[in-house]
Amino acid sequence: MELLILNGLVNGLIVGGIYALVGVSLTLLYGVLRVVNFAHGEFVIAGSFLAFVLFSSFGVPPLLAVPIAAVVFFAAGWGLYYVLIPRLARSDDPELMSFLMFYGVSIAAAALLLLLFEADSRTIDYTFTPVSMQVGPIYVSTARLVALAITIVVSIALALFLFKTLPGKALRAAIMNPEAIQIMGVDIVRLSAFAFALAAALAGVTGVLIALVFPAFNPFSGAEYTIIAFIVVVLGGLGNPVGALLAGVLFGLAEQMATVFLPQAMAQIVGFVILVGTIFFRPSGILGVRFKR
Amino acid sequence: MAARSRALDSADRIYFTLAALIGSVLLVYFASVPLLGLNVAFHFYLMLWITMASAFNVASGFAGYMPFGYVAFYGIGAFTTAILVKKAAFPLFLALPLSGVAGIVLALLFAPTLRLSGIYFGIVSLALAGICRLVITNMPEQLTGGSFGLQLGSRAHPVQSFYVMMAVMVVALATILWLSRSRLGKALRATRDDADAAEMMGVNVPIVRLYGWLISAFFPAVCGGVEAWYTNVVDTETAFNTLTTAKTVIYAVAGGLGTVTGPILGAVAMVWLDELIWRQFPLLNLLILGLATIILVLFLPRGIVGTLLRKKPQWRRYIP
Repeated sequence: MELLILNGLVNGLIVGGIYALVGVSLTLLYGVLRVVNFAHGEFVIAGSFLAFVLFSSFGVPPLLAVPIAAVVFFAAGWGLYYVLIPRLARSDDPELMSFLMFYGVSIAAAALLLLLFEADSRTIDYTFTPVSMQVGPIYVSTARLVALAITIVVSIALALFLFKTLPGKALRAAIMNPEAIQIMGVDIVRLSAFAFALAAALAGVTGVLIALVFPAFNPFSGAEYTIIAFIVVVLGGLGNPVGALLAGVLFGLAEQMATVFLPQAMAQIVGFVILVGTIFFRPSGILGVRFKR
Repeated sequence: MAARSRALDSADRIYFTLAALIGSVLLVYFASVPLLGLNVAFHFYLMLWITMASAFNVASGFAGYMPFGYVAFYGIGAFTTAILVKKAAFPLFLALPLSGVAGIVLALLFAPTLRLSGIYFGIVSLALAGICRLVITNMPEQLTGGSFGLQLGSRAHPVQSFYVMMAVMVVALATILWLSRSRLGKALRATRDDADAAEMMGVNVPIVRLYGWLISAFFPAVCGGVEAWYTNVVDTETAFNTLTTAKTVIYAVAGGLGTVTGPILGAVAMVWLDELIWRQFPLLNLLILGLATIILVLFLPRGIVGTLLRKKPQWRRYIP
C-alpha cells in the first residue's frame, strides 16, 4: 500500500507539472486578454501531434521537439491573435463571445487534426536509455522524469520572466490593471499579441511533454485537457499564474491519489467536483487573493 | 396617454399578426411534410433544432446566462424516456412528459448555479453536464444498458414521432411568444440588464431567474425523449454529446438572441447549410461548422435578426 501511495505521489507530481503548464498558459491568456480559450486543449494536443510528426517523419527526438514546438506555436499564436482578437473586441460582450468563438476554434481544430491524422490513437515510439530509473523504492520511466525536469525548468524560466524582466512585469501589470498600463506608455495590442503567442508556445511545449508522459493521444483528447485547464485555472484563481502553477500540481496529486483510492469511474468525477466546489466556496482560488484588479 | 396606448395597441396588433403569420406558415409547411412525401428525417431534426435553439434563447437571450452544458437536459430527457418505456413499461405518451419533468428536476438541482454569472456560470454548467454523463455512464448496466445503450424495441413510428415533435415545437414557440410580451419576460430582461435596478423596481430576482431557467430546461428534455423515440436507441455518447450544446448555441446566436424569430431563422438557415455541406463534403462537415462559428462571432455577433433590429430599432416593437 505504501508503495502504491508513493507511486501515486511521484506520478501526481509529474502529471501535476503538466497540468500546471496547461493551466498557466490558459490563465495568462485570460488574465491579459480577457478571453476564455475553449480550444486550449486542442492547442496542446496539436503540440503532441507536432512531436509525433517530427519524430516519425524526420526522426527528430522529442527533446529537440520542445524548442521547435515553442517557436512554431509562438509564431502561430502571434498570427492567430491578429486574425481573431481585434475583431472580437467589437462585440457587446467580448468575454462571453470569446467562449463561443473558441468553441468554434476547438471544433475546427479537432476536425482538422482528425482530417490530418484520423481517429486512431498515436504514440511516439521513442525510448530513453535506460527505460526507467529507480526513485527510492519505486521505478519511474525515464521519459516521465525527463518531462518533469523540463516542466520544472520551464516553470522557473516563466517565473523569472514574469517577475524579473520588464516585459514580464508589463504582462502582470496588464492583468492587474489594463487601463493604467496604457497610461504608462505600453502598447497593449502588441503586449496582448505577445501574451497570446506565449500562451500558445507554452501549450505547444506542454503537448510535446504529454506525448512523453501519457501512453497515447488522439484528435479528441483536446477536450479533456481543456477541462483540466479550466479546473486548474479556477482552482488557482482566474488570471493568477502563480496560483495556476500551484493548483496544477495540487490537482495532479489529487487525481493520481483518487485513482489509487477510488474506483476508476469516481476518479473521473473528482475533477468536476473540485471545479464546481471551488467556484461555489472559494471563487478567488486556493491562494484566496484576487490577482486581477 | 390615450394616444400612446392606442399606438401600443396597434404595435401589438402588428406584432401578433406577424407572429400568427409566421406560425401558420411553419405549421402548414411542417404538417404537410409527411403528406407530400418530403424528407421526414431532415424536417424532424429541423424542428428539433428550432425547439432547442428557442428554449436556449430563454436562458441566454432573456435571462443572460450561457449554459455551455445545455446538453445535460437533453440527455436526461432521452434516458428518462428510454428507461421508463423499456424498463418500467410506461406508455410512450406518459414517458415523454415525464422526460420534461426530469429536465425540470435537474434544473432545480442546478438552480444554485444561477447566482453565478458570465464565465463562471458557463464553466460550471459545462462541468455539471460532464458529471451527469459520468453518473449515467456508471449506473448499473441493467438500468441504462451500459455502453451499448438502450433499444426501445418495436415502438418506432417515424410519422407519429414527427407530429409529436411538431406539437412540442409549437408549444415551445407559443410559450416563448407569450414570454416575450409577458410580465415575466420583461422582468427577466430587466434582471439580465441590471439585476440591482430590477430588484429596486420590485422584481423578485431569484424567482424570475428560476422560472426562466425551468422553461429553458423543460423543452430540451422533451426533445431528448422524442428523439430517443424517433431513433429508437439511446446511449451516453450521443445523448450527452457536447456537439448538441454547440449546435444549439450556434443556431440560436446565428439568428439573434433575445428575439422570438431569431433562433427559428438561425436554426432554419444553419440546419439547411449543415445538410448542404454534409451532402457535398461529409468529411469537412465538422471543420466547416467550427469555421462558421468563428465567422459568426467575428462578423455577425448579434445574429441575423439582432443585426437587423440594430439597424432599424423602430422595428423592435413589431418583430416578434
